[in-house]
Amino acid sequence: MGTSTTPSSAPPRLPVRLPYHGPAHRGLQAGSLLVAALLIWQVSGASNFRLGQVTSVCIFAIAISGLNLATGFTGMLSIGHSAFYGLGAYVTGILVVDHGWDPLLTIPVAVALCFVIGVLVGLPALRIRGLYLALVTLAVAVAFPELVRHFKDLTGGSSGLVIRARLLTPPEWTGLSVGQRNTWLFWVSLVLLVLTLAVVRQFTRSRWGLAMVAVRDNEVAAASSGINLAVVKTVVFGISGAITGMGGSMIALYLGALSPDGSFTLLKSIELITGLIVGGVATVGGPVVGAMAVVFLPYLTAQFSSGQMSAVIFGVVLIFIVFVMPHGVVGTLQRAARRLVVVDPDLPVDTSRVPTRDLSVPTPQPITVGQPGDAA
Amino acid sequence: MQELLLRLFSGLTNGSIYAIVALALVVVFRGTGTINFAQGEMALFTTYVAWWLTTLGIPVWITIVGAASLGFALGAIVERTLIRPVRAKNDMATLIVALGLFIAFNGLAGVLFGPITKQMPSLFPNDLDTYLLIGGARLYFDALGVWIVVLGLLGVTFWLFNRTTLGLQMRAVANNPESARLVGVRAGRIMMLGWGMAGAIASVAGVLIAPLSPQQLSLQTMFHVLIFASAAALLGGLNSTTGAVVGGLFIGLLQAILIGYVPAVGGELQQTAALAIIVMILLVRPTGLFGQKVTERV
Repeated sequence: MGTSTTPSSAPPRLPVRLPYHGPAHRGLQAGSLLVAALLIWQVSGASNFRLGQVTSVCIFAIAISGLNLATGFTGMLSIGHSAFYGLGAYVTGILVVDHGWDPLLTIPVAVALCFVIGVLVGLPALRIRGLYLALVTLAVAVAFPELVRHFKDLTGGSSGLVIRARLLTPPEWTGLSVGQRNTWLFWVSLVLLVLTLAVVRQFTRSRWGLAMVAVRDNEVAAASSGINLAVVKTVVFGISGAITGMGGSMIALYLGALSPDGSFTLLKSIELITGLIVGGVATVGGPVVGAMAVVFLPYLTAQFSSGQMSAVIFGVVLIFIVFVMPHGVVGTLQRAARRLVVVDPDLPVDTSRVPTRDLSVPTPQPITVGQPGDAA
Repeated sequence: MQELLLRLFSGLTNGSIYAIVALALVVVFRGTGTINFAQGEMALFTTYVAWWLTTLGIPVWITIVGAASLGFALGAIVERTLIRPVRAKNDMATLIVALGLFIAFNGLAGVLFGPITKQMPSLFPNDLDTYLLIGGARLYFDALGVWIVVLGLLGVTFWLFNRTTLGLQMRAVANNPESARLVGVRAGRIMMLGWGMAGAIASVAGVLIAPLSPQQLSLQTMFHVLIFASAAALLGGLNSTTGAVVGGLFIGLLQAILIGYVPAVGGELQQTAALAIIVMILLVRPTGLFGQKVTERV
């Protein structure tokens, strides 16, 4: 759902109600898509440096979207997603360097492996909840760099794993040269990000999504309404890990060099959580805004201060954002937008014709159902 | 035997540091229902201040009091100005404020005192020949000193919690802030006090650990401590002070034994192994060793 709103011309009572898939709703959707397309078009012509930044925003947004499924929608706080990010990166790195795979073909392998590991990590969630579950994921986050260092033969240990630029040449059909690797990576990340967002959107609005939110809001109530907690939790953790792992695969291609202490420690998990909360927990678009914040804020604060001072400013800005926008940027915008425009849900009855005010005779009120994704 | 004792000594020393930082985390959790991820970095900052005071020629014994007071003030101010306003909004917001403080305090220490590792003077005699021989194993005075301070600190905390009116009020607020308010406890002030106490306790831990830590006093010193202290708090049960102490000592000893006797994991995989064991314990007792089960109504 686009958060863009049309400036309301005074007369109609706010919020303006738009019928689902009516012309106005369709128009808003088309408008949002158009704006997004224009932005992408604008960015794709940017300088190499800027393009690199945008690519890392896309990659980060994918990783945060994964975290969002487990932590945002299902309420399983994870500080272990740096491990999935790292696992995806190392799967891609090892397959490309040691086995000469095509970089793009490694992504499905990384995703599959991260799914399996995610299900395994999710298993303790059947018994352990809340902050105690966070400890389990902490163990995973701490274990990953240690395991990478331990299995030197496979991972290159602490000296790292370098993917030579030659191995990352864009495929021939794109007509891009080795030097235009950044452009190629930008488009790949963008496509994967759009795909991720679409999957997350559909998934969270399905029966599964409702089950996830129910589990988050009240486990006991969810279980007694027939939701299989075990299946929901483990599968969601698996999917969550898989998506973050896909981000990891891309970051391996983007960085070209992997080391256990570089990008895959607990601090990366903290960055992912920061991005998630700043962008907006349990919103589809939140991770994108959050990724922008995590990539651009330190860069901006480093512009007018140096070294440690930029860290101080970053921390202060984070706290400031929480004070101004406790629901994250996207969450707060959505709430604001809902005061202006509301899209009526897709009900079999045309509810827009049912009078909702000034009823002289009390008749049964139509049941208003929020859109599934709005439950947060 | 001699080697075992040596391992136990070093395990107990680390463990007692984990124990008091875990205690600080538990005090905060009981008051405000959140883990203060910035606890370690706030303590790091006050420890840097203590180090700075020692460079002015002030004895370490006095600087530790200074660090504790500063820690108290910081904790109380942070609770009143940053935590209380967002706590009403949601848990995630509290978490991100803590993360913001984590980054900001670490950065602030770096800005004010520079990134170079500092040599924090020890509170206790720490020459190579100041030790007791116990069963052939050397127990250095500085380790012994840490134990004594930690024991004293634990004693004071337990006395405060269990024997004073203030402690009773703190427990009341932890149990149910609403009811506590109804019987006349000033819940807000008690929470501020809890955060202040936690800040002071953690600051003492910082000053104690800095001379013993392999990293000495650097910007990374407290991160490692915080990880194991939170593991200790969770292992013991987040709302149990006894649990924090037992958890801290257990983790310290577990690490020492893994390093000494399980060479396969002792070197590179020691943190992983320690945390894996804790996870297994949690699988059996999901709310920690001493944690209370909370009955849920739907």
